[in-house]
Amino acid sequence: MMARSISFGYGMLAIISASLCLLSPVKAQDMAQAKEADPLALESAPVEKVESGGGIRVFLEGSIGSSSRRFGLGTYDTRRASLDISYSGRVAPGLRAVFSNRTDNLQPAPAGLDSTVNSLREAYLSWQIEGSDTIVDLGRINARSGPGYGYNPTDFFRDGSLRVLTSADPFALRQNRLGSVMLRGQQIWVDGSLSIAVSPKLTSRPSTDGWRLDLGSTNNRNRALVTLGTKFSQNLNTQVLLYKEDSLSASLGANMTVLISDAAVAHLEWTRGTEPDLLSRVLPAPSRSATRNRFVGGVTYTTLGKTSITAEYQYNGFGLDQTGWANLGGTPAAQLAYVGGALRLQELARQQAVLIYVTQKGLFLKDLDMTAYLRFSPGDSSKLAWVELRHHWQNFDLAFQLQQTMGSAKSEFGALPERRAVQLLGTYYF
Amino acid sequence: MYRDLPNRMKMLMAVVGVSAACVFQSPVDAATRATEALVASDAIRNPGRPFAVTVTLTEFLNGRQVDTSTLRSYSRTDQASGQFSSLIQFVLPARDAGKLMLKNGNDMWFYDPTSKASVRLSPQQRLLGQASNGDVATVNLAKDYKAVLAAEEEVQDGERKMRRALKLMLTAVSPDVTYASIELWVDAENNRPLKGKFYAESSRLLKTVYYRKFQVQLGAERPTESVIIDGLNPQAVTLMRFSDYSARNIPELWMQRDYLPRFQPE
Repeated sequence: MMARSISFGYGMLAIISASLCLLSPVKAQDMAQAKEADPLALESAPVEKVESGGGIRVFLEGSIGSSSRRFGLGTYDTRRASLDISYSGRVAPGLRAVFSNRTDNLQPAPAGLDSTVNSLREAYLSWQIEGSDTIVDLGRINARSGPGYGYNPTDFFRDGSLRVLTSADPFALRQNRLGSVMLRGQQIWVDGSLSIAVSPKLTSRPSTDGWRLDLGSTNNRNRALVTLGTKFSQNLNTQVLLYKEDSLSASLGANMTVLISDAAVAHLEWTRGTEPDLLSRVLPAPSRSATRNRFVGGVTYTTLGKTSITAEYQYNGFGLDQTGWANLGGTPAAQLAYVGGALRLQELARQQAVLIYVTQKGLFLKDLDMTAYLRFSPGDSSKLAWVELRHHWQNFDLAFQLQQTMGSAKSEFGALPERRAVQLLGTYYF
Repeated sequence: MYRDLPNRMKMLMAVVGVSAACVFQSPVDAATRATEALVASDAIRNPGRPFAVTVTLTEFLNGRQVDTSTLRSYSRTDQASGQFSSLIQFVLPARDAGKLMLKNGNDMWFYDPTSKASVRLSPQQRLLGQASNGDVATVNLAKDYKAVLAAEEEVQDGERKMRRALKLMLTAVSPDVTYASIELWVDAENNRPLKGKFYAESSRLLKTVYYRKFQVQLGAERPTESVIIDGLNPQAVTLMRFSDYSARNIPELWMQRDYLPRFQPE
């Protein structure tokens, strides 16, 4: 069964590579003409009429794939069709409307959900008071913060916001998250801004009905967030955040980005708060509150060869340490439920993790990009690897994705049933 | 030997030209002339007030069109540095529509409205994208470079006509510039920029640029197209077409990370 999945994966890769080579714009006759081409004889493409103000964006995406599982669970095929619509535009002087929605049909259906899931990510009105730099927003808003690549402690509205997982790429995941209903006011000045967001409790439980707004995932308690953003210099930007939710004391957070050379950017995120540990948040375990830190630090370096490499260290003081993980290992189902719960809350399951994230533009072909990452759990040396090859055409993308988990049966990633997943995606942009 | 003759003649003419410049012009006059030509050339490329312009990029490889994209650029002069700050909104291809790129000196950000993610870019990271080609078009060279008059010579312009030009050698005086040195040819008659060669610190040629299709835009005759030839691969060519110039109010507070999610031009 595993061999079948491997051969499927490599077979797909060979087909994609061959197809991309055939469709490559660089052909032999072009090479022959190359010496004749006079750059000053070239003519620009026709100028398109630009409608300012954003407008509507629509894309349709489909995928087929296969996933092989551990523990003798066999393989299964996956299919998905998605329609993604977003709009942003002025509806009256000083008034802007933002709408963002995605509908996914997934086979097999996600656990505990319908096979068709509609995610209303954002729907809000934004009012800029005339003659001032004060803006008030009301509605479902995707308020996210934090420069971290794989973990964002200062993204206080992250938990429960992912309804459907369509990719393991952390950047792609952010595109699918649900906003929270809130009232937000922001004052902007030349080198920074201050915003205050209040998000009320509207219902208690997440919905399993795919067509519901699922406010139970995003508005299941009263929350408030104050964010002060400051540009200290052209090389240093920071945010300081104060977060408060029902029945918990306030948490403090900060993040920053620093330009450290022409080719390197560093990022940091930190939060400190008093709350129950992650185990008691996701499993029926005795609640143990403590005051702890979360931290992310990383550096992105870009080479002249169009490669960007990010190395990131991640720390969650509320996650399980080696002893806690080993204790949970007595019941593999509990380990699995814990890791799944951590993912739902977008938390780091273990206390520490390391992420290496690489992008390569123009890999062999001008419009072929590669994105890959390796997530490493230092506590047990288990790993999650993910790679994507994506070719762009003017309105169409074709991508191949391969995901692999490695580790012993009682390790963080080795405990996951999914050993390997391959996926072929096509995206058409209207 | 005979094959070398034209090059030798060119070299001889250049030496004679520079010598003549030295004889008939004092070094102070030459430096002043070079700086004046550079400032005037900057003023021709860049409107002296905040403006928006649509940029159509057409990429060619081996003479064959391989890509097109459209951007809308909003620029204003930063009071502190005298340099341009630009907020670029991607329009086409549809995949990138609505994405933003901000350049305010070294404060550079990429913003994706779908993921709400603002990603800080290093100057090298920004060079990976087509938006960076704007640096050779919208930049106040006189602010960041010291100009020396190297020669007065005939040069082929972007319309393939021979023009009498001042050849300026520009050396970076600001540490935060993309190009360490530039050779710039400006029309000796009217200071129009004609051609530029942009070099890295290693003296590697990064880009050769021709400025052409001069038209009246925002009160002056400005180049509305740049032909950008890759330094490593001369068969990789990008045409930048500038259209729909408009003078408009561009507040300073647009040029920061926290404004990116709010950006919604009229």
